[in-house]
Formats: sequence, C-alpha cells, structure tokens
Amino acid sequence: MKILWSWLLELCDLDRQPTVEEGARALTRGGLEIEGMTNLGAGFTGVVVAQVVGKKPHPQADKLTLVDVITERGGAATQVVCGAPNVPEAGRKVLWAQIGAKLPGPAGTPGGLTLAAKPVKGVVSPGMLCAEDELGLGESHAGIIVLDADDPTALGAPAQQALGLDDWMLEVNAPANRGDVLGHLGIARELVAVLRGTLVLPDVDLSAYAGAGEPGAGRVEIAIQDPEACRRYIARVIDGVTVAEGTSPLARRIAQRLRGVGVRPISNLVDVTNYVMFELGQPLHAFDAHALKAGVVGVSNASDGEKFTTLDGIERTLVAGDLVIRDGDRGIALAGVMGGLDSEVTSRTTRVLLESASFRPLSIRRTARRLGLHSEASHRFERGVDPELAELASARAARLLCMVGGGKVLGEAVDAYPGKRTVASITVRMPRVRMVSGVALEPSTCRDALERLGCVVAGSGETLDVTPPSARADITREVDVIEEVLRIVGYEQVPASLPALRQPPPLRPADPGDVARRALAAAGLCEAITFAFQSAERSGALGLEVTDRRSQPIAIHNPMSADQALMRTSLLPNLIAAVTRNQSHGRPDVALFEVGSVFLRRGEGAAERPIHELADEPLWAAGVFAGRRPGHIGYGTPWDVFDAKAYAQVAIRAIAGASVEIKTRATSTVPYLHPGIAGELLLGQTVIGWFGEVHPDVRRKLGAEGSLFAFDVDLSKLPAARPPQMTSIPRFPGSARDVSLLLGASIPAARVEDVIAQVADPLVSSVRLLEDYRDAKLGEGMKSMLWSISYRAPDRTLTDAEVEKAHEAIVARLVEHLPAARR
Amino acid sequence: MSATQLIENLERLRDEFHTAIEPLADEQAIRAAQAQFLGKKGKVSELMKELGKLPPGDRPQVGTAANNVKNFIEAMVEQRLRSLADRAAKADLARSIDVTLPARPVAAGHLHLLTQVRLEAVQIFSELGFVVAEGPQIDTDWNTFEALAIPKDHPARDMQDTFYVSEDIVLRTHTSPVQVRTMLTQAPPIRIVSPGHVFRRDDDPTHSPMFTQIEGLAVDEGLSFADLKGVLIHFVSRFFQRDLTVRLRPSYFPFVEPGAEVDMQCSFCMGAGGACRVCKGTGWVEIGGAGVVDPDVFANVKIDSEKYTGFAFGMGLERMAMLRHGVNDIKFYYEGDVRFLEQF
Repeated sequence: MKILWSWLLELCDLDRQPTVEEGARALTRGGLEIEGMTNLGAGFTGVVVAQVVGKKPHPQADKLTLVDVITERGGAATQVVCGAPNVPEAGRKVLWAQIGAKLPGPAGTPGGLTLAAKPVKGVVSPGMLCAEDELGLGESHAGIIVLDADDPTALGAPAQQALGLDDWMLEVNAPANRGDVLGHLGIARELVAVLRGTLVLPDVDLSAYAGAGEPGAGRVEIAIQDPEACRRYIARVIDGVTVAEGTSPLARRIAQRLRGVGVRPISNLVDVTNYVMFELGQPLHAFDAHALKAGVVGVSNASDGEKFTTLDGIERTLVAGDLVIRDGDRGIALAGVMGGLDSEVTSRTTRVLLESASFRPLSIRRTARRLGLHSEASHRFERGVDPELAELASARAARLLCMVGGGKVLGEAVDAYPGKRTVASITVRMPRVRMVSGVALEPSTCRDALERLGCVVAGSGETLDVTPPSARADITREVDVIEEVLRIVGYEQVPASLPALRQPPPLRPADPGDVARRALAAAGLCEAITFAFQSAERSGALGLEVTDRRSQPIAIHNPMSADQALMRTSLLPNLIAAVTRNQSHGRPDVALFEVGSVFLRRGEGAAERPIHELADEPLWAAGVFAGRRPGHIGYGTPWDVFDAKAYAQVAIRAIAGASVEIKTRATSTVPYLHPGIAGELLLGQTVIGWFGEVHPDVRRKLGAEGSLFAFDVDLSKLPAARPPQMTSIPRFPGSARDVSLLLGASIPAARVEDVIAQVADPLVSSVRLLEDYRDAKLGEGMKSMLWSISYRAPDRTLTDAEVEKAHEAIVARLVEHLPAARR
Repeated sequence: MSATQLIENLERLRDEFHTAIEPLADEQAIRAAQAQFLGKKGKVSELMKELGKLPPGDRPQVGTAANNVKNFIEAMVEQRLRSLADRAAKADLARSIDVTLPARPVAAGHLHLLTQVRLEAVQIFSELGFVVAEGPQIDTDWNTFEALAIPKDHPARDMQDTFYVSEDIVLRTHTSPVQVRTMLTQAPPIRIVSPGHVFRRDDDPTHSPMFTQIEGLAVDEGLSFADLKGVLIHFVSRFFQRDLTVRLRPSYFPFVEPGAEVDMQCSFCMGAGGACRVCKGTGWVEIGGAGVVDPDVFANVKIDSEKYTGFAFGMGLERMAMLRHGVNDIKFYYEGDVRFLEQF
C-alpha cells in the first residue's frame, strides 16, 4: 500500500520529528516493511514560486506575453516570455522554471531537459512559466499553472511546496493479518508506538454543517439480517451537495494526495470517500439518496441465482453467501465489493446517503474472488475493518463532503451496531514471555511496549491482563501479545543461542537419489534439473501406449502457461529438450543426466477420474548423450549406445551395489527407442530401465538433431546395497584360453555368456569378449566372435590338463547350444 | 698338438671372438656368441679336449692360457653389454614428446549447483542434529495449508499463489507439509530439515514457478526465538565461510508467532552497504522467513503447546546460490544449458 509521509505525520504527535528515512526504518523494524520510497518532487528542480507584477504583449508575436515576475517582495522584476493564454493579472503566483532548471522534458527525453536563456522572437527569456505537462504532473498544456489567490507558499520557495510535492511516497508491505494498517491512521499508530508519541485523530467536527432540513428528514431505518455478517452499519444523509471536479484548495489538496498514493481523482464526492479510506482504512460507499425509495436500508444475504447489476453495467448472478445492501427488497450494492448501477452517484446527484460499515471478511473475500472484483474496498474488508472505526470515518467523510461539495448534514447519523463486542483481555504469563522470546524481559518493559501500542494493561508482577485496542483484531492469544512486545522492544534484542541436543538424531538411510547423482557426476556426466511439469506436446512426444501409466499425466488445474500444463511422467522429454536447447546455442556435444521424481496417477484407468488422492512419485534417473565425448586431439569419438548402457549401470550399481548382476535384453517395443538399438535392464526378472538410441521420430518431435542416446532407470525399484563384503584375493595364478566361434549374426553376446554360465564350472573366473567381427566372407548372416575365458582355482595352481579339460567342455557346450562352429 | 700350438689356437679363438662380437648390437646375439665360444660345446671347450693329450708338465701353462682367454671373453661380453645398455639408456633419454599438447580429457562431471548447495546446507544443519525429512511434491491442501493455520479463504493464501491439481490436492508451495507429516508421526524432540522442490505461480528473473526450498523445524521443551536466531547465524556463517550475522524482522506467516523475515548481513560488502549492488546499499539481504511455531499448528498435529515449543525457518536455495555464486537469473537453474552447468 502506498502512503504519503506528510499525511502520516499529520496523524502523529511524535516526541521528536523523524526524517523520512528514520520513519521508514522505524516502521520496517517494527514489522511494516517499507519496500520503496519515492520523492514526489524529484521530477524537476530549479522551479520556484514567483509573483506576477506586470505583463505586456510581445512586440513581435500576438500570442506571446512578456511577464514581469518577482521572487521576493519588493525585489527587482524579471521579464519572462510566456506563450500561454492564461497569464494572470498582477498579484497572482505562477511557477517559474529559471535558467538551469531541470525538467522532465517531453516523454522519452533521456536525462530530461536543462533550461538555458534563449531568445523568443527577439526577446531573451530567462527560463519559462510552467504548465502541468512541463513539470510531468499531467497531460494539460492548456495554460500555465496559476496558484490560488490565497496560496500561502512563500515567494521564491521551490514549486514542490506549492504543489504538495515536497513529500515522499512510501510503499508499505502490509502483512495479510493486519487489516488495521491499510490506512494512514493505522500506520501512524505503529509509528507512535515505535518512536513514542501520540496519535492525532483528524477533524470530524460537523457543527458547522449540521441541521439541514426539518427534524426527522433523511431518517432511514437499517435492517441487518445477520449481525455476524454485518457488525455495524452507519448511514448518514448529506443534502445539497454539488458533484463536480473539485476546484477548491481543499479539493485540490485531496486530489493531489490521492494521486500521490496512486489513485486517479474523479469527482469531489468520490475523492472524499477514497481520501477517508486511505486516511483511516475504512471503505465508504455513497448512494444517490434520491434513488432510494423504501426508507429502509437492509443488509442481507443474496438468494441463490439473484441478479444484480453492478455499477460497471455488468449483470451478476449471486449466490447465497453474497452479502447485499438493499433499498427495501431491491439490491443496491454488493456489500464491500461494488455498488449498484441504479443508485450510483452521478453529476446530477444532490443528496447522498453515506455508508460506513463493517462486513465479515470471509464473505467479502469469497464474493470478490468469485466475481473477480478486487477493489481497494474489498481488499480492506477481506483483511478486517474495525467496526469501531465506522463512526469516525462517517463523520470525517461527512465533514469533508460538506466542505468540498457544499452540502449540509441532514438529520443525525443512523448507527446500527448489532455486532458490538467488548474486547476480551488476554492473560500473559511473564515466564512464558521469557521462554518463547529467549529474552529476560521485565513486566514493566512489557507494559510499556503494550501501552505504546494502545493496549490497556492491568495487573503487575508475573501476570499481566492485556486488552488490545479494538483495531487490533489479530491479537487474541498470549503468543500474539508476546510477539507485540518483542516487536516493540525490537527483535534485535533477542540474543543468539544454540539449542542443546538431548538425544541422538534418528537414523536415516542414504538418499538413493543423491547416491545416484554423485556416482553419475563422478563418472563424468553433467547434472541437469528440469521442471517437474511440461507441455502436453512434450509429454506426448514419447508415444507411450495408453496402457502405460506414464501416458496419463496429472494435469495442473491452473497452469501459468500451456508449457507447464502436465506433471512429467518421464524425465526424458525435458532432458531431450535441453539437448535441443544446447544444440541451438552451438553446443552439439551434450551428456546430461537428471535424477528426480516423476508423477503417476494412483490406481487403474485413472485418466478419467478427477484426482483426489496423492500421486505416486517414484524416483527415476535418466541420461541423454548427443554428439561426441571430449577428445584429446581432434574431435573425440561419438557417444553411442554403449555409453548409455554404461551410465545406466553406474546409477544402478551405485544404489544396488557394485556386485549386483544386471542383465540386458534387446527390445524393439519401447516406443521412444530405436527398435533395433534398444535394450532393457533387468535385476533378476524385474525390468528396471531401458537404454538405446532415441527413436528418430521422438527426437525430431523434441527438436534434437543427429543421433541421440538415452537411458532411463526406475530407481525406486532398486534394493539398497548392503555394505560390500571382502572376497579373498587369489593366491594362485590363473590361466586363460581363447575360443574363436563362427555363429549366426542374430545370436546376442548375452546368449554366449548365458551358455558359459550354464556350464557352471567353478574354475571359470572371468569371461571377456575380445572381438565381434562381421564380414560377408564369413557367410550370409554369420559373424565371428573371439572370447577369452579365464580359469583359476582358489587353492592351487591349475595344471594345463585341468584348464584344457574345463575349456573344451565349455567350447563343446557353446558349439552345441548356440549353435556355433569353432574356427 | 703341442702346448705352444694349443696356446696359439686359444689366442686365435680370442681374436676370433673379438672380431665376431664387434658388429653385434643386442644382448641375445652377444650371449649366443659367448655360448659359441665358451659353452659346453663351444670352440674353447672343443679345443681344450686336446689338453688331455699333452704331457702333464705342459698342462698348467695351457690351463692358464685357457683361463686368460675365457676371462678375456667374459670381460669383453660384460663390457660390450654395458656399453649397449648405456647406449640404450641414452637413446631412451633422447626421446622427446611435445608435452604442451592438450591433456587427454578425463570425463569431468558436475553435480548441479543446486544439488551442491542443498547437500552442503543439509550437512551444515546436520552438525546441529537436524536430519533430512522428505515428502511428496503433490500433497493435500490440508497438509499444505490448513494444518499450518492457513484455512481456505484466508488472505494469507494470496502470499503463495498455488498450482492446484484438484480442489483438495496441490503442488506444494513450500516444504512445510513435510513438517506437518513429521509432527503427525513423530513425537518430540524433533529436529528436521526438508529440502525439496516447491511450486508457485510466479515467473520473473527472481521467481521461478518451480524452485527449491530448505526448511527446518525443531520441536522440544524450552526452545525459544533465541535458539532460532543462533541456528540461522550458524548456518549463514558456515555456508558463506564468513562470520555473518542475521537480523530478524517482524513479519507475518500464519504458522509462526512471533514470525520474522530473515535478513543476512550482506556477504558481498560485509554489511557496509554503500554502493553494494547485491544488498542495494542496505547492508542486508533477505533470505527467508522464520518464527516460533504457532500453537494453532501444534493443536492441528496434536502436540501439547504448553509443554513444547518449536521454531521453524525456510529459505530458497536458488537465492543462497545466487548470493554466493553471483547467478543473476533464476531461469539458468532449470534450462539444462551446459554452458551454465559446467561452471560449477
């Protein structure tokens, strides 16, 4: 919320006048953060208040006037050339931009404009007399600014003083529970508490404006249906007002201040209601009293489906929770949100019914949200407006209205206050205050702090009874009082201590995600973190079957953009898109991994069901490889499918243990992988992930160029490794035998390993593939493989004969079962 | 053959060996030549078979001559081998490689900056007995808001614009639901930190719709606002490796009372302010929110607020990394741009 420093000071009597910086610091320290400060007069310099002492036409130009001005009484006059049609008679004050003055210049002038003496049609003009637009105050260039005849500003004073611009605008970040600081008065209450002083209430004396009309004139009944929904309603009728653009000094001052807090002035009447709202925090509404016929103002709930046309001309359909102000049965306003079209104040209005009321925050918030009608009024009512404030605000607005609109108060205010409550006192225990705050506070210190905030404090010693001011509806509990005390004493008074550890923290297993992350990064990949959501297009790019849970992503009900509409069910789309992004930035060589949750609907056939339960959030790891690995000299070798496979195994082994057996099986049915270059990874019989070349269609849909390899592994399916156990280091040498096989090209290497494993000879210590050779010379559909098998016994050196025998048995098995021929 | 002839022949063999070994340049050939002369069936042995035919009086003379030849050959072999070895050693040392050629690249991986910062933050808090607690990123409205004293229609909901999955299921806007879950299942004393992704409808250079928080919660007998302050000072000082202080500023979060904004002494200018662009001259930078756990929250999770007190704090890890590493736009964290990722 924006406030003006001058306005704030008007409501305070402080022990010592602070600078604006001191004031901002004091408020921030107390919990009202000042987020910004703007010097309203910073737009120009070198412009002073000058008095016209004579004028004559320019000898060379009809439209120009030579104006004699002085900046001190009895001083020498200076002649300024002016092109405006409204140069006033001698005696009036104008604003003179002298030589060297800095003005904003026409919109978009960089650095503004600095005035120099220049001849205008042969007459040198030392500066100029200013119009609104030249000072950046508005659009008007109709004439120069002429101050009121009774303007009190001293001659020679900066123009800012005369324009109300020698002021600061402060932006206050009001906490959501502090409805009381949404007006200058509430902030003044904070300032006097922090800096010590007293509150100065604005003038609400109506004696000069009372007594219009015969006794009982303007009398209305007020009928409140639910005292909880509307705790107080004050109606007051003002007669004989003229609704117009305010031109009096007071009206201008009001308009100036409203502009200062970012509100566009509209008419004297609307400006007064806005002014009082910003001054006191109480939203007000003015009805055209002639449009009200029934003599009864009602406050009641809408009936479901009730129609009501708000003053913006839109017909709204109401629901039972909406609160309506009525003239008899007819709705005339949506309480606290917006007035009705047919009771709106217009330029023809002469009699006004002024509403100052207090409505239930929840009701206003629901209505405002449902209808999308957020206003300054609803913002305040949502956060709670003190019913005690209504009377002050009503009188203040009536006084100002009479002053700027020329009206008289008709009869007395009607005050319906069914929701009046006495504020309950709160028992505060000093030991509790000390324990929660960690500060050794004395009761007297607490009492002082609370009294400065306007609380009534009874009791002494170790128990205080605290009654907060009615405006502070947020203070209801002992702990609320503790915070208030601490706020005023100052959080900086709290010492720093470290809490003692009374028992050892609970055991927690290593985070599998971090285990995988560290392993993959240590093995040379770069970790990416991508958004948990993605577009429907990206989500669908993998081409998953409808039977796959991952094809039914969870939708975000209110995404910020279509790019973030669906929760990811796989890490790959966003990772592949990251490859695309890197490629488009001239980085074709990319090896990235991500470890993170994917989001799956719970239960079968879930796509049709709305989600009322939590998602499954299994942890996955995925990697993508494009371009080449870094080379020594030259460009390095291209990444290939075996890199994807290797890194998948790195992630798996990091979690499940280095000795875990991972099986590989070729697959052609993973829709996002190339049907001929893809494998599934198995732990026992469970498929835990896939690797391969990304299917060219998928890659193209996601914009990536060139061959792309990937893996993705469901880490949630992996068992945690137990601490590895040592196996004894072999004491006897082993020996190796090679075998060269000619076999069908479609027989996978894993099959050869399986056959060797089936022999289950305990002497076999390792199997290694030395060569996988394909050549037409070998025969149609044939390949040659050279395997090396190592043999070792733990307790002796094997004899040649033993090795030979074991090897021949294995070779025979291979020849028979693959089948293969020995070469 | 007379002794004299025999001696002459031995000396001829010696000269013959000398000539034979001259062109030989490897050990194997030299050894073969040696065997050819001195081996069991070598030329010297063959010749010495004649020794038995000599009169015994002549034998010592010839024997001495034979030994001389044998020693000569052996010495020659030694010398020859040594000179060969020397030459080889010299040749080896004469090799040269352009060591300014580029190093062979070792695959250098990188943990994401946010991962590094998270692990480090968790480590620092663990020194004070905080253990990691985690929870789902999609959670119930109750865990995310209601239990934390933010009922539906509370203006405080405006502070965190929420992504909804349905009316009662949300993307968590903070990791506080983890605190709720922990307090529901674990009796005090509690000391947890919950790092993780959170989501808010916000998108500009300092806000990302997904970002990473770390929150802490301690519940025990006798915990105070002062303990909260101490823990935060410990954290920022360790994280920035400097003695930094913390300023708590009154603020409002429905789930803590007293509540505070946490400002840290600016780690760039060390609080001097002036023209510092990081703290905009104030000497302080805002890093998060904190406070004493509100009794209403304890009531919701069935913890006795008369017996126990607690404190909670939360901050954004992106912001911490920005402050420490000068990252100037939050979007870099989530784009997967290797030019960014490789820097850390």
